[in-house]
Amino acid sequence: MVDLALRMLLHDRLRFVITVSGVAFAVNLILSQVGLFFGLLSNSSVIVRNIPAELWVTSKNTPNVDFAQAFPESYVNRVRSIPGVQRADNLIVTFLNITLPDGATEGTVTYAVEDFEAWHLPWKLESGDIRDRRRGNFMFTDASAVRRIGPFQTGDYRQVSGVRMRYAGRSLGATSFTTTPVSFLDYRLAQRMNSNLLEGNTTYILVKTEPGADLKAIKSEIQRRLPHNDVYTREEWAKRSDAYWIKNTGIGLNAYITVFLGILVGVVIVAQTLYTSTMEHIKEFGTVKAIGGSNADIYRILGRQAVVAAVIGFTIGALLTLAMKPGVSAIGLRLILPAPVWMTVGLGTLLMCLLSAGVSFRKVANIDPGLVFRS
Amino acid sequence: MAVLEARNIIKEYQEGKERSRILHGVSLSVEPGEVVALEGPSGSGKTTLLQILGCILSATEGEVVVNGERVLQGKAQAQAELRKRHIGFVFQQYNLFPALTALENVQYALQVKGHKGPGAKQEAHRWIEEMGLGDRANYLPRDLSGGQKQRVAIARAVAGQPAVLLADEPTANLDSHVGEQVLQLFRQLATDHKRAVLIVTHDPKVREISDRVLRIRDGLIHA
Repeated sequence: MVDLALRMLLHDRLRFVITVSGVAFAVNLILSQVGLFFGLLSNSSVIVRNIPAELWVTSKNTPNVDFAQAFPESYVNRVRSIPGVQRADNLIVTFLNITLPDGATEGTVTYAVEDFEAWHLPWKLESGDIRDRRRGNFMFTDASAVRRIGPFQTGDYRQVSGVRMRYAGRSLGATSFTTTPVSFLDYRLAQRMNSNLLEGNTTYILVKTEPGADLKAIKSEIQRRLPHNDVYTREEWAKRSDAYWIKNTGIGLNAYITVFLGILVGVVIVAQTLYTSTMEHIKEFGTVKAIGGSNADIYRILGRQAVVAAVIGFTIGALLTLAMKPGVSAIGLRLILPAPVWMTVGLGTLLMCLLSAGVSFRKVANIDPGLVFRS
Repeated sequence: MAVLEARNIIKEYQEGKERSRILHGVSLSVEPGEVVALEGPSGSGKTTLLQILGCILSATEGEVVVNGERVLQGKAQAQAELRKRHIGFVFQQYNLFPALTALENVQYALQVKGHKGPGAKQEAHRWIEEMGLGDRANYLPRDLSGGQKQRVAIARAVAGQPAVLLADEPTANLDSHVGEQVLQLFRQLATDHKRAVLIVTHDPKVREISDRVLRIRDGLIHA
């Protein structure tokens, strides 16, 4: 079987390289932007997704996990008494200030519960033992904070909201959307350090249900008992936190614009190179018609060229994106690309190239095979 | 019985508000095994007639019959189908696919005609050999001489067993010696393979291999 489409495509290597580069550039642009978008978003809800609480009770209209509002900590008892609730605990999320060795002050978003082990907080430790949190004024801060608060080690002391605190360890992977350092400390200590606001108060109630319990019914019952609070499933709460940042920071719009630009660049480059190639091979397409070929035969040639450009361009673009990962990671960002994104961008690339070939389809549909008689 | 027959072909073009008539009622026929030369000065209408006979262009009036099938004028799809089954073309400019080797050029034409697989490759090989290009089968057109390219073009035209071969100035770009060799191939194809061959030409040497010579002038044939 002679593959005229592929042979024509490879015959003009420079044009082929330009076409594939255009596709690869567009794919790389789209994947890297979408990856960064998901990476940033994952920061906003990474803690929510790692805490094994099926339900979150929040104060009314709390927009995201970092912007917590206080409510009486005794509400937890109303939740604990609901049949089907296996465990319910208070969680405080509050901002504290760390005074740095150079005198500057940096904020830290602090998570505080009484039983860290029960809620897998922090879920990964680089150093230290979480049980040390109760030995005194001890705190754990995520290793990623180095970029904001400078180097720090387990055992170092820092002034935190006017209290001399000691780092009992460093966690890994606990981040916030705004890159504000994340710290963990004992629940009662957190209340004491921000007593004006948190004395007798909490900011969230974490709820774990019994296996097989009716989550929807429990959620409704909590809502009935705490009418001035909101109740979310973990997924709802994570999405609400994500949505807040998408809507209020413009990263969603930025991602959409970049993806649009990526598609535009891809379409323009592929359409332009395929169209120029078609025009330069117009006599060959005329010959195909003269020897009995139909428009469908020529569409197949152009379609196959578009598919080949899409597959090779996507592969190169995808490899480039993967190669960027360590560099992106080195500056404290993450590229997160779930399988559906790869599949969507892959299919989108294919569609983009076929759409670009459509410009040439229109041209070849009107080729007069009689042109082969002209010199 | 003629495998190519044209009856009272008229071709008119619209040029602005004027209609100009290129062919004024041309009739001709070509038998299997016959080589017919069609001569005429530039602008006489010979290429237009060749395109109508080759089912590329539609006649304004008149009838064309190829291998017993009447050509439906103005029906591009039906004409393409007839072209595919019954007609092989040889062009002045060869019109080979530059990205394909000599063998692949022939094989691709067979593919378009619906012949695929190892059988198509064997047939392509056979025609390349018959044209004396066995040692050039895997050469790209850019590595072939003009005569060799035209032989590949002839192999491509005859592959798939079309009943009719139409050639448009096949020797125009060749020197006289090579041109004679190419013309002998046409003669051989007509005699040995019973193809009906119509050659549009200015080249007087075509007469030497032709059974008949038709002259066209001002859109009319003068035998």
